[in-house]
Amino acid sequence: MDKPVAAKSGPASDARPPRAPRPPRPNYRQIHQFPLPVNVHHVPPVIPHNPLSLISVALSYLTFLISPPRQEVYSAYFDKTTSSIHVTDERSINALWQMGFFGKGSLSRSEPSWLAREKKRRGLHNGKTSEEMTRLRRTERRELKLERARMEKLAIEERLKAEAAAREAGVSEPLDQAAQSTPTDDTTNVTAATTEKFSLKKAKEARMLEEKKARELAAQNAALAEQNQPETSSNNKSVRFSPIVQKKEFLSTSPSSLQLPDSVVDNLDSDDFPNEEHLQLSNEEAFFLAYSLGALQIYDSPSKLGEVQSTSSITTSALLQQFCHHSFQPARDASASLLPDDPFMISYTVYHHFRSLGWVIRSGVKFGTDYLLYNRGPVFSHAEFAVVIIPSYTHPYWSETEERKNYTGEKQARSWWWMHSVSRVQAQVLKSLVVCYVDVPPPAASLDDIGALFGQYKVREFLIKRWIPNRTRD
Amino acid sequence: MADADEDVIHAPANASTQPEVDLSDETQDFRFLNHLNFFADSSPGIPRRGEKDFEPNPTELQADVLAASRGAMHNALSYPRLHGAKTRVIAFYAPDGYVPPAQPDRAKPKAGEDGKSSESTPKPARPLPSSARISPDACVYVPSPKGQFFKTMGQADSSSRVWLLPEEALYLIERGSLDIRWPSPSAGPGEEDLSVPMSLQAAYACFMGRGGLTLERYSVYTGLKRLGYALVRAPGWCDDIEPQDTDIPDASQAAPAKLHGPGLAGILGSLFNWIHDPLSTASTATGPIIGTGIHRHYMDVYRKLAIIPWYDPVTAPERHPFDTSPPFRVVFHIYKPSTPFKKSAPPAPDFRIAVVSTRDQTTMPTMTQLGALLESTPLDPPRGEKMERMMYMRLRHGYRNVVMAVVDQGVVSYLRIADSAFGKEKLYENKGGPQGPKRSRTNQKPRKR
Repeated sequence: MDKPVAAKSGPASDARPPRAPRPPRPNYRQIHQFPLPVNVHHVPPVIPHNPLSLISVALSYLTFLISPPRQEVYSAYFDKTTSSIHVTDERSINALWQMGFFGKGSLSRSEPSWLAREKKRRGLHNGKTSEEMTRLRRTERRELKLERARMEKLAIEERLKAEAAAREAGVSEPLDQAAQSTPTDDTTNVTAATTEKFSLKKAKEARMLEEKKARELAAQNAALAEQNQPETSSNNKSVRFSPIVQKKEFLSTSPSSLQLPDSVVDNLDSDDFPNEEHLQLSNEEAFFLAYSLGALQIYDSPSKLGEVQSTSSITTSALLQQFCHHSFQPARDASASLLPDDPFMISYTVYHHFRSLGWVIRSGVKFGTDYLLYNRGPVFSHAEFAVVIIPSYTHPYWSETEERKNYTGEKQARSWWWMHSVSRVQAQVLKSLVVCYVDVPPPAASLDDIGALFGQYKVREFLIKRWIPNRTRD
Repeated sequence: MADADEDVIHAPANASTQPEVDLSDETQDFRFLNHLNFFADSSPGIPRRGEKDFEPNPTELQADVLAASRGAMHNALSYPRLHGAKTRVIAFYAPDGYVPPAQPDRAKPKAGEDGKSSESTPKPARPLPSSARISPDACVYVPSPKGQFFKTMGQADSSSRVWLLPEEALYLIERGSLDIRWPSPSAGPGEEDLSVPMSLQAAYACFMGRGGLTLERYSVYTGLKRLGYALVRAPGWCDDIEPQDTDIPDASQAAPAKLHGPGLAGILGSLFNWIHDPLSTASTATGPIIGTGIHRHYMDVYRKLAIIPWYDPVTAPERHPFDTSPPFRVVFHIYKPSTPFKKSAPPAPDFRIAVVSTRDQTTMPTMTQLGALLESTPLDPPRGEKMERMMYMRLRHGYRNVVMAVVDQGVVSYLRIADSAFGKEKLYENKGGPQGPKRSRTNQKPRKR
């Protein structure tokens, strides 16, 4: 009787096996010591009572005047067909990721790690990439869950046995208890019988499955194995308590999945292979790097493969126009006029706002929001805040005509159901939901001064959290 | 390790660490009701709820537990609810609303038209409660109030009759704590006992819709009342009073909206920067904003980047409660059960609540509506030693806050909305780095952030 309790409360706290010590993490503090891809040169400190310090300050000024240090400018190209910015230069990729966590590896989840994973796979490199760590952790977790389910199943079976035994004893000797509830006794008898049959059937099924599998393995028929695959997965649910089947399945799939790439790899030079991955920047990140920091130059994509990239980069004002046109799907015509409530304008306003406050802001699409805010960066801490953006039209211009009123009303409408689903998801992943309203100015006359253009927008954040009256009673 | 967001999802569902487990969301195990003793009032503790099974299994144990739970619920529900002779409180319905006591039935001089009779009371030592506080919506009076309910409900007039608002009367009659009588045509002081009791249906018919009481507001009222909160109507109860003038506050709001980026300080800063760094070529027109020269410190870089204006809740003007758009208006002031509450002088409320019906207002508030709602509440900046230490807490607390009860066909969900100014927290000046290392999650005692 103790078992069910242990099985129920166990997995959360004590049933977790002690984890193997993790390999030491790289020194993220050192790798990501610069918050932005901008070079900063500190002035030597001035110490009043030490005249030598003045000289050193003067010297540092002089050296900067004579040979000013060059600000590193990275280059990227804009791919019109996918409306995205690609960085292919290895050094730029590393710099942009390490200083400010810009972009995402096209073949990785976040940090571009395809090369490392590939090297690992070919046995050139040891150490673990984050993707592998996650996979390991997931396997571990799945095994834990299987174990828990097995324990629960065992407890139930034991309980059933005990109950059956008690019933036997009850039937053999005439008891006054039996008289009180014969109909329920009957039903329980029936259910008990069916369950016993059921479990027996299950066991049989499992055995048959194993036999079938063994036969298949002996036959080495790949096609048959593939055919069987959906079948096992559908059976999986009923037989999930047996770890043996799970293992078997794992074994049967693993060689087949590894076989194909290996054969391809063999005829390649394993030492030297090109990095197939590039860094993909979001349009907001690219514009921030280009316009705000001047650390990125963006070129048009080479129209043909092998063609040399155009030598002149896109100017920031042209870039803004292009991004705005590409914020629609399909991209708007290049001649279309710029809207003040263009999705890119609004999202960039928010992006720039939080970047300028020191947050590392990345896409929040994984959690159904527009952005996530990290303190210093994703390698240091979890994101605490998730941001959703809603445009707002408080300027009198937007309520001048009925048409504009309808338009803005439609643009800022968000349903309560949407709000609740977003806020519940954020609570589940332990993030605070920030609803960020962006006040849209009336259409601007000119786009010459980008700074003035963005200066007309205004950002206001509301933090929305579910309030549970039961918990605030004190 | 950018994947770390994902494992948060799989965090152990520990009841103590999970922030959003609302017990009322779950199907309950009613066996705990068995431990309630209805006949002796010596069980002040709230019983513990049982454990929950997630899947049906064929054991008799589970079936027994389920049957016991059902039995307990039926048992609890079948308990006869009676008006005890001792605790019986009788009230009278006054369809015409509050009327000042007409007859000097207790040797009292007749009160004035508006009930201000404090100067004419025979006992000046104990000031009588001012009848002026009695709402014109009050429609039920209790001649001889007794019991704990009247600590937080109703308002007494000069002849110590307690006048109840429609929601208060409805709550009490629904609870079985009040016996409301129809007014008898020949109501004399002695004949009151002969009048006809009002049914619950009649009470709903009479009180719902009276004086701005909607079903949504009533569900919020009873829901919180049952949890022990004290609720009083806020000044913004009446929907009829429209925003006095929407244009003027907009203009006044626009005026103090100073740009936080390039202000006087910004100009001075750029001058200083120019001296500091003569090679700077900063330009916001075409970028780069930070210029191509030498940067001395990341703080300077960040300061130059601040070009987007943001809303500062501290400098924003406070609004009158009527200067808001009706569904988004504070209608109740809420006091925690632990807050010492005095009817005659209610303290500052613990929460302010606005009630919204999703069927009338199908969309979320716009920034104007939400902003007006928050500006009608007093400034409540994050205070305290803990808040000063922890930036996340400061941001979560915000500078003003309000609770919005979103009622969807009787289902109430509460949202706490806070005006958090991210612009006031310059993260780049924060030397300490993130609070709590990421590794803390894997420690024995995980601290959820």
